[in-house]
Amino acid sequence: MKPLKTKKKNTILFSYLWSMPSLLLICLIVIFPIIYTGYISLTNMNVYHWFTYDLIGLKNYREALLVFDSGFIPALLLTILWTVVNMVLQLVIAYVLASLLNTKGLRLRNLYRTLLVFPWAMPGYVSILLWKTGMFNSQFGLLNQWMEKLGFSPIKWLAGDGIAFICCTVVNLWLALPFMITIIDGALQSVDQSFYESALLDGAGWIERTVYITIPSIRPIIAPSVIITIFTTFKQFDVIYLMTQQAGAKTGAHIHTILTYAYENAFITNNYGYSSAVSIVIFVILIIFSYVINRKPKEEV
Amino acid sequence: MKRIIASLLSIVMLMGLLCSCGGKSQGLTEEERNIIVIWHDKEEAVAEALLTELQNSLPEVDIRLEYKSNLTEALKMVGNDPKAAPDLYFFAHDKIGVYAEMGILEPITELIAKEKLENACVGITLDAASYKGEIYQLPIYFETLLFMYNRLYMADEKVPETTEELYAYMEEKTHGGHYGFVEQHSTAYYSAGWIHGFGGYIMNGEGKPGLNMPETMAAMEYHKKFVELMPGESEYATVNTLFQEGKAHSTIGGPWLVSASRAAGMDLGIAPMPVIDESGIPVSPYMGVQGVQVLKYAAENKTDTVKKVLDALMQPEVGIVLAKVSGCAPAVKACYEAEEVISDDVVMAMRETAENTIPMPNCPEMDIMWTVAADMLVNINMSGQDVKESCEAAQKKAEELIDKMQ
Amino acid sequence: MKGKEWKEKGKLLLINLLLIVVCFATLVPILYAFSVSLNEQNSLLGSDFSFIPQRITLENYRKVFVEEPVLLWLKNSLLLAGVTVTVSLCTGIPAAYIFSRKRFPGRSGILQTLILLYAFPSLLSMTALYKLLSPMGLINTRMGLIIVYTGTMAVFALWNMKGYFDTIPVEIEEASMIDGASPIQIVMKIVLPLAKPAIAVTAMMVLIYVWNEYIFAINFMTGEDAYTLAAGLYSLQANETSGSWPVFSAAALVVSLPILVIFFALQKNMASGLTSGGVKG
Repeated sequence: MKPLKTKKKNTILFSYLWSMPSLLLICLIVIFPIIYTGYISLTNMNVYHWFTYDLIGLKNYREALLVFDSGFIPALLLTILWTVVNMVLQLVIAYVLASLLNTKGLRLRNLYRTLLVFPWAMPGYVSILLWKTGMFNSQFGLLNQWMEKLGFSPIKWLAGDGIAFICCTVVNLWLALPFMITIIDGALQSVDQSFYESALLDGAGWIERTVYITIPSIRPIIAPSVIITIFTTFKQFDVIYLMTQQAGAKTGAHIHTILTYAYENAFITNNYGYSSAVSIVIFVILIIFSYVINRKPKEEV
Repeated sequence: MKRIIASLLSIVMLMGLLCSCGGKSQGLTEEERNIIVIWHDKEEAVAEALLTELQNSLPEVDIRLEYKSNLTEALKMVGNDPKAAPDLYFFAHDKIGVYAEMGILEPITELIAKEKLENACVGITLDAASYKGEIYQLPIYFETLLFMYNRLYMADEKVPETTEELYAYMEEKTHGGHYGFVEQHSTAYYSAGWIHGFGGYIMNGEGKPGLNMPETMAAMEYHKKFVELMPGESEYATVNTLFQEGKAHSTIGGPWLVSASRAAGMDLGIAPMPVIDESGIPVSPYMGVQGVQVLKYAAENKTDTVKKVLDALMQPEVGIVLAKVSGCAPAVKACYEAEEVISDDVVMAMRETAENTIPMPNCPEMDIMWTVAADMLVNINMSGQDVKESCEAAQKKAEELIDKMQ
Repeated sequence: MKGKEWKEKGKLLLINLLLIVVCFATLVPILYAFSVSLNEQNSLLGSDFSFIPQRITLENYRKVFVEEPVLLWLKNSLLLAGVTVTVSLCTGIPAAYIFSRKRFPGRSGILQTLILLYAFPSLLSMTALYKLLSPMGLINTRMGLIIVYTGTMAVFALWNMKGYFDTIPVEIEEASMIDGASPIQIVMKIVLPLAKPAIAVTAMMVLIYVWNEYIFAINFMTGEDAYTLAAGLYSLQANETSGSWPVFSAAALVVSLPILVIFFALQKNMASGLTSGGVKG
């Protein structure tokens, strides 16, 4: 009895010892800011009390919940729509492209792969700037130059809500697809070919193979990346803000996700305590959201 | 499980400990006191000229002029941390209120006698640099927006003197990809000129927003017809490219546009702002004073060196050299005795215009107004919303957000 | 048989065509940047654009290398990326392996919590991290940035590699255990070679993150000499009043080139290491 117990204890010690460096880094860089934000959210740290702030209890939370007024619900709904549209398109397109890249006998596979990840090789703000000024600009943008050549009148791509939403989605897909393609591409290669061979013998078609073999096989591998991408998409700020709302370059479109909404209604006040409370509230909303869509975060064993 | 919690807790406590025991600096060595770090966000030409001037007059001081992107945000973050904060920073006067309230700025009069400052500098620059009765900035040069035109299209005698003349010109010339006049019509900094021209304001000196004033609304209503004859995009790149490529005949722009346009070979003219017919006041954009602010830590621990640097910065040579590279008006009066300044038409036009306009408010509340006012402008100019409703809503929003600052 | 072969060939041709079209569509903005970078005039915007500019010049590329300290930034980026990738793998692989293979109290709780951390909006994390690093004297040091980068990517590294380890059948390890190999030997000799694709992908992700990150780099580092490529590029365009579009475009392309070369070279390793054996799941 005793040796077994010691062995178990040893396993625990061993496990924590080996994963300690990684967990410690996560504590420092990821968890500490959350705890710190939580702490600041209980204080009155702002421009007038930058160094001499005091604990003031839940006052910031009371005000933070007031922010979530009439403008907040549309922003939340839009964020959900944005997340769903982007994730569905991203997964479908990435899956199709990754499957094509894995076609047997494709000689230029590596070249295609490298070209497809090009958007990834540039810092995000450079890409967004390039799209905004190079592609969508209504005076000089490439799209309007093409429109003109085709005999259409120029379009203000980023001015209307609907069209700006589509443009932002295009840019977001452009930025995010390389990651998804790489992940799915890698996962596809780990699928055991013998499964397909037996399926082929059974006369299964492409769709059947996809649904019954490929997707179940790659799901555990891509699940963490997909969940992480869902969160990043939900929290997306740069694309929408830089494309349509950047200070000095607003385009007239009113597409607000909860993060851009929180930015305009809280972060610009320089009230750090209050902004922290808003951050924590968004954090909680997102966690609830993730539980609603998926009772238990995927951890396949 | 208990052990996990215990170990996690101890990590958190360890981190807390590490954070709280941030070293109070023990006195600086002679050598450290001789280093002056200055943050700035200026173009390379201005920075180089400034550094050369300082090095020439103070060879014994180790001056480090460091370019900092996102300077204003970085300063909020580093606060007064002697390990990371600069000793001085070179920036516009409009953020003084924020940093003064944060408690990281030293009033400049602690280092230079007030009388000396008042004798040396152009009055309006010191007014701009004052917050709650204290002067926080040593002004170096000041700037504002100017009316610029391309002589290829607009002859000197055709330059509009009133806004109605400007509108007539725009109506006549705006077609086929050409524009009579362009400006960044939906940003607060550019549109402030129109609002001031009607006697309204975005925010007054006491930190009170004025977006729902009848004057502001009148300005917005009047301005709309001009916007209709301008491109839909209002951001810097579009407006300036149109002007520099010769697609727009005239514009409102800052001094930086002067050198760029001349370098591109344009015969550029500069004229006074057109007068608004209804009010008789010219379009009056904001004035900004670029100058040096001193952080508290440096003022207390490097007093002598900082004083030396400030003295060197007040020499007329510095103002003259910087005026030439930046196209702005020097803040030190003595500069205007130099032939090279008097003969420079851009610099003189700048002084003329800037002295008769309104400095940007420097109170912390102004940080909010840039965003709220821009939202309002976009709603009116680009989304076609009702002027009165938009102004009222923006005023309410501004008041709410100001409330939330505390 | 002949007919089938033709059918296969036709299918391949079609797939090739499709991929070429997709690649071209992806590259449009980049080709645009390339064209601008070859342009003599200082304009990103121009009303008469063509993919091949009328007057080609390499002057902008010369400027990038001569007038901006790009080589210094490149050195900084390479150093930071190299160390961060190494530290990420050295800490991530053991953790991922343990979480995949061992069962211990707190395991699934930690795994699930880690992924939920991604739900935190990190707009305010900068100041918190500053408060953390400054007392340790890590502001304005490469060390500080490396810690931030490694920590930021640690959750991804752990989860991504753990997911792949899960698919490697435990029987392979058990067989060698019986042969008398030590746990460390097993990991080094058997698991790592099998997990090469996941490790390569993780390394690539960390590399790309470090390469493109600029917010921490400009806020935690002062002075042009300490910048990474992404931070330097940011400072080139941040000052829009004096910026030069062609030089900026040229710099952007120069920055992305090393990543593409490394990605291309790593392709071999991203291919599956699993030649036989099943998938757990």
